[in-house]
Amino acid sequence: MSKYRRALERLVDASAKERIAVSAAALALSILVGALVVFVSGIVATCASPAFSVLGVDVCYDPINVFTELFLGALGHPEQGGWSPTNYRIAIALQQTTLLIFTGLAVAVSFRAGLFNIGVQGQLVFGALAAAVATIWAGAIAPTGILGTVFLVPLGLLAGAIAGGLYGALPGALKAYGGANEVITTIMLNFIASNVAYVLVSTFLMPESSQLVQTAVIPAAAKIPNVPFIGFEARDAFSLLALLGALAFITGIAYLLAKTSFGYDIRTSGLQEEAAAYSGVDAKRTTVLSMALSGALAGVGGAVWVLMVKGRFLTGLPSLGFDGITVSILAGNNPIGVGAAAFLFGVLKSGTIAVDFSTDVPVELVDVLRGLIILFVAMPEFFRLIGKRYLGLGGEQRA
Amino acid sequence: MRNTLRAAVGVFAALVVLGLVFPDSLFGLVTDTGTAEAALRLAVPITLAALGGIFAEKSGVINIGLEGLLIVSAFAGVAAVKLLGTGSSVGPIPSIWVAFLVGVLASTLLALLFAVVCIEFEADQIIAGLAVWLVALGIAPFASVVLFGTKNVQVSTLGDISIPVLSTIPYFGDVVFSANVIVYMMFVAVPACWYVLNRTQFGRWVEASGENPSALDTAGVSVDRVRYASVLISGVLAGIGGAALSLGHVGAFTAGGATMVNGKGFIAIATYLFGNYNPLGTLVATLLFSGLDSLQIGLQQAGIAIPSELVQTIPYVTVIVVLVFVGRTRIPAAAGDHYDSGEDSR
Repeated sequence: MSKYRRALERLVDASAKERIAVSAAALALSILVGALVVFVSGIVATCASPAFSVLGVDVCYDPINVFTELFLGALGHPEQGGWSPTNYRIAIALQQTTLLIFTGLAVAVSFRAGLFNIGVQGQLVFGALAAAVATIWAGAIAPTGILGTVFLVPLGLLAGAIAGGLYGALPGALKAYGGANEVITTIMLNFIASNVAYVLVSTFLMPESSQLVQTAVIPAAAKIPNVPFIGFEARDAFSLLALLGALAFITGIAYLLAKTSFGYDIRTSGLQEEAAAYSGVDAKRTTVLSMALSGALAGVGGAVWVLMVKGRFLTGLPSLGFDGITVSILAGNNPIGVGAAAFLFGVLKSGTIAVDFSTDVPVELVDVLRGLIILFVAMPEFFRLIGKRYLGLGGEQRA
Repeated sequence: MRNTLRAAVGVFAALVVLGLVFPDSLFGLVTDTGTAEAALRLAVPITLAALGGIFAEKSGVINIGLEGLLIVSAFAGVAAVKLLGTGSSVGPIPSIWVAFLVGVLASTLLALLFAVVCIEFEADQIIAGLAVWLVALGIAPFASVVLFGTKNVQVSTLGDISIPVLSTIPYFGDVVFSANVIVYMMFVAVPACWYVLNRTQFGRWVEASGENPSALDTAGVSVDRVRYASVLISGVLAGIGGAALSLGHVGAFTAGGATMVNGKGFIAIATYLFGNYNPLGTLVATLLFSGLDSLQIGLQQAGIAIPSELVQTIPYVTVIVVLVFVGRTRIPAAAGDHYDSGEDSR
């Protein structure tokens, strides 16, 4: 017992470990509250065949079933027989993980610089559009087959990075040189991005025959190829190569933040703006550059969405940018943590499909969980208090 | 700052004059009563949310979750009408007014949660505010589907009230004095908030709580209490705005995408920064935005050959331009910081 307690005490004291503990506790609490929400809405809702009855009250949704589907159904039910680690549900989970790593890293870079880039969604939109346009245009002159892939995929990613980077640098410059609060400008730029992309596509880029507002299909060679013989099928719209690429980005950003002078500039600006200025950090330049880097990462995420998932640009993108905020906050804005949090959210995304398929609960439940997770992660003091008051942890370390 | 505001008013006045002189041209849209009425209605949720934001931020708590407060109140109001039954009444009060109060209550409760998280648990105000927005963005569509099986709920509206005599004043009488109930609420709330902030003891406390909390503390007033009160006021005001949005003229809640609130809470933040935390200046700024928004709707109806999606971005672009020009508005010195009186060792 005392050994257990000492272990927990170390957990409460150590700051990096504490962040993990807070995130885990926030996650657990969100699931608990989420289950309560499911239960209560199960009483309120009317349905033909209730899941169960408590004290004569019909309850439409079974919280345990819902959360089993959300987490295990998301992976294709590994607890049941005949499970394969390369099933369709896993492919979806990993596909979403890959995308969320990019948007999560995008948010993390800006938050570490003390900038709240809420505009990742807009940067993602323009990154995706640029990747589609670049590969479609270059497709006319590019060779087909593997040679074309070697040329077109990097081109698409680069186009996405540039478009996203520029659209991220814009609010950075508005903040640095115009003093405009980046939270508001980036949110406004999200609205503008989706409308402008809609107009661009519907006016200039739509094939005649198309009913939806979308571009033509990108050349076959521009799709991120699958690794042969590993088992994910082409229809899964997931490539292990892309996931490996995303992991490489995690390593790269972690290195950049920890070991390079630009990373130092970013971190000190985020921690203590005035101290950064005294130590010779050019605050304005850092603001613009870190927003550009953040936007570029979001743009690459958008490019991957086009090159791996959809094979074209179409309006009404999924809210990967907003989920990136949750991913990064849950990860304490740590690049490595972003990988783990992105996987968790990838599972939630795949679980959403499972919940939709096997239960009657509205899938908007996952958006509720997203909000709850951020809310709880935002209040570490709450968990510290609980830890101190009810578990007797932490001693008197808090001043 | 003054000059920007003056320039904005000037441009707007010039447009009005052009509209009066050439009523059949494009400028005629500016003075068209339909456009003006729409502008006033569109201004209501933004103004009320902005007034709430002023209280919270002046007291030192940046409430970026106004958007979320608008969403929950807009939804709760509509849901309550639907559940109580349109046209019925609770005691002597028509159900739509009870529903209006339910909307305000929902927003106030969410604001209370936000206050507890920020003040009691010392959360980062920006992140907690984002959480309020995202929670609302999740819970409103979820509840809408659970309760009604749809993301688009239709109900009745509050309707217009015409004030005798005044409404017959030429040019603006019909617009201002024969307006939707919610427009009158706005015109009452703005001077009321100005009075509370500038002429009462509580207003001075709010100011001190945001500018110099330790001085307020020394004077024997609890900073936490002032901040709780201010954030709750922001919940009530934004709640009136949200319920007005869904019940005033639209009579529906649409939960798709960014919901029917669609960024109004964030525009509200821009307007009070533009108005430099002054309710009257904020009203002017909001009327500018909503004027642009209703012009945009007018332009679409007039069949101008610009894609409507592009015209819809005008208010958002304006917010950015305005922020660049007034970006250096000085925010309260202690806004965003947790205040620890050092007394309550928990």
